[in-house]
Amino acid sequence: MSIKGQAIWGFGAVAALAAVPLFLTQPYYLHTVIMILFYAFLASSWNIVGGFAGQLSLGHSAYAAIGGYTSTLLFIHTGLTPWVGMLVGGLIAAIIAVLVGMPTFRLRGAYYALATVAFAEGFRVILESTKHVGKWDTGGAEGLMVPLKGNMPSLMQFMGKAPYYYVILGMLVLVVLVSWYIDRSKLGYYLTALREDEEAAQALGSNTAIAKLQAAAISAFFTALGGTFYAQLVRFLEPPAIAGADLSSQMVLLAIVGGRGTVLGPVLGGVLLTTLGELTRAKLGGSLLGIHLILYGIGVMVAILYKPQGLIDPLMAGVRKLARVVNRSRAAAETGR
Amino acid sequence: MVILEAKNLVKRFGGLIATNDVSLSVEQGSITGVIGPNGAGKTTLFALISGFHTLSSGEIWFEGKRIDGLKPYDLCKRGVARTFQVVKPFASKSVLYNVTVGAFARTNRTAEAERSALEVLKLTGLYEKRDALAKSLTIVDRKRLEVAKALATGPKLLLLDEVLAGLTPREVGEAVELVRTIREQGVTILMIEHVMQAVMALCENVHVIHHGVKIAEGTPMEVTRNETVIKAYLGEKYAAAAGSQ
Repeated sequence: MSIKGQAIWGFGAVAALAAVPLFLTQPYYLHTVIMILFYAFLASSWNIVGGFAGQLSLGHSAYAAIGGYTSTLLFIHTGLTPWVGMLVGGLIAAIIAVLVGMPTFRLRGAYYALATVAFAEGFRVILESTKHVGKWDTGGAEGLMVPLKGNMPSLMQFMGKAPYYYVILGMLVLVVLVSWYIDRSKLGYYLTALREDEEAAQALGSNTAIAKLQAAAISAFFTALGGTFYAQLVRFLEPPAIAGADLSSQMVLLAIVGGRGTVLGPVLGGVLLTTLGELTRAKLGGSLLGIHLILYGIGVMVAILYKPQGLIDPLMAGVRKLARVVNRSRAAAETGR
Repeated sequence: MVILEAKNLVKRFGGLIATNDVSLSVEQGSITGVIGPNGAGKTTLFALISGFHTLSSGEIWFEGKRIDGLKPYDLCKRGVARTFQVVKPFASKSVLYNVTVGAFARTNRTAEAERSALEVLKLTGLYEKRDALAKSLTIVDRKRLEVAKALATGPKLLLLDEVLAGLTPREVGEAVELVRTIREQGVTILMIEHVMQAVMALCENVHVIHHGVKIAEGTPMEVTRNETVIKAYLGEKYAAAAGSQ
């Protein structure tokens, strides 16, 4: 598809998504849709290092926690608005991703994945067991409340759900645009190359260590922005939820099911699986506790068994086919006239 | 003028000496061959020159500057490119994508990298197959792709590691033409090759390696008549027979 074609499709999709709160006015449904976009955002952020660079990070919740805690602590103790605090959190997360990446990127395959698990679990335990950093109360295992200041857009606090929806939609559009840009840039080519064969990439002039660190930094930056958004939406941070292995593996699964290393795959995975999860919980959660997780697991297994490259490829092939049919019938109608 | 000079290269892997005091020099604009029986240490020699292995001792000079100890990507920027004996395509990507990765060594802009990649594809005869996935290529085309990727990095010195192995005689003929064309573009070539027909046709100068040691050097005609070389390839008896002729 040409860049112009992609722009038209993209603009149309964003416009359609922007109209959703006009129809979905019930807070429960709107909250569900916010969470869908939130997970699509996190999966897309993970995908920059986990997909494009092919480095299976299983510890990305640590970066979400860094984002959430940084902006919240700055807000509580210095009054800094989370709009700025989220950028600070993002930068700190990026720096830590580089520091973690320098030793761990020397490891390959499962060993790298294990190192990221160790890092994230260690970080969670530190969060749970630390009550104070200097004079600042971090809440420890009890968690940290984000003080409510009323309807204050300048502090990223809103009374209704709709504004949160637009914030996360904007963030999702941003991370998709960045992914799209990376995919077409020198960095994207180098990441793909090192994912497929690191020695060959080096022989062609790519400093693969630097490329991986760049991807890790960008990925951690966006993941941390997601952490701040979560903190403002839920107004409560507790280590198992924001820094736990559940959130880490969630990002990985959504991206893999949707299509790892593609621009839109993680968005598709996020939308499909989060919807499936919410539906099964809403319909079945009351009678058979936990059944939604089993169904969710089956969904993941089926997708990985039958479409290991992700669901985005067959979907895009279908869209292209449809576009061809439409074009042909339009051409036929014009010649028939 | 000498473009590459290797002095007393030694590479030890534990107790094994894979490269033992090998020296060689390559003239700018030449096609130089490296031959030797299987396991002689030819590929190790290439890995040393291209920065994939570190030297145990010795020095490597390129264009009058010392380059041993530099990483493969630094060497690539300076103009030393290599192919791999076991080809390394980026399998799930198109031919054009593969070659564009190489072209990024000389530019940061995607459009420009693609443009120069297309030029290289025309030169190497892969232009028609630019949209095919690398994994769908035949072995001949994979070898060509390997050369095209390295060539896209804009090298001054190209190290070719057995790019003719496994090709039919006709394909060898085409590949020999390709190597000549590349040299005509001003690229110096150092090639490891088993196919003697091609070595005879292409190389001005040949180095013979055996058990990690350089045993002979000269024109293709000279080395194929060299008694030590014949012994290394065929054993004592044949050398005696050749000597008595």
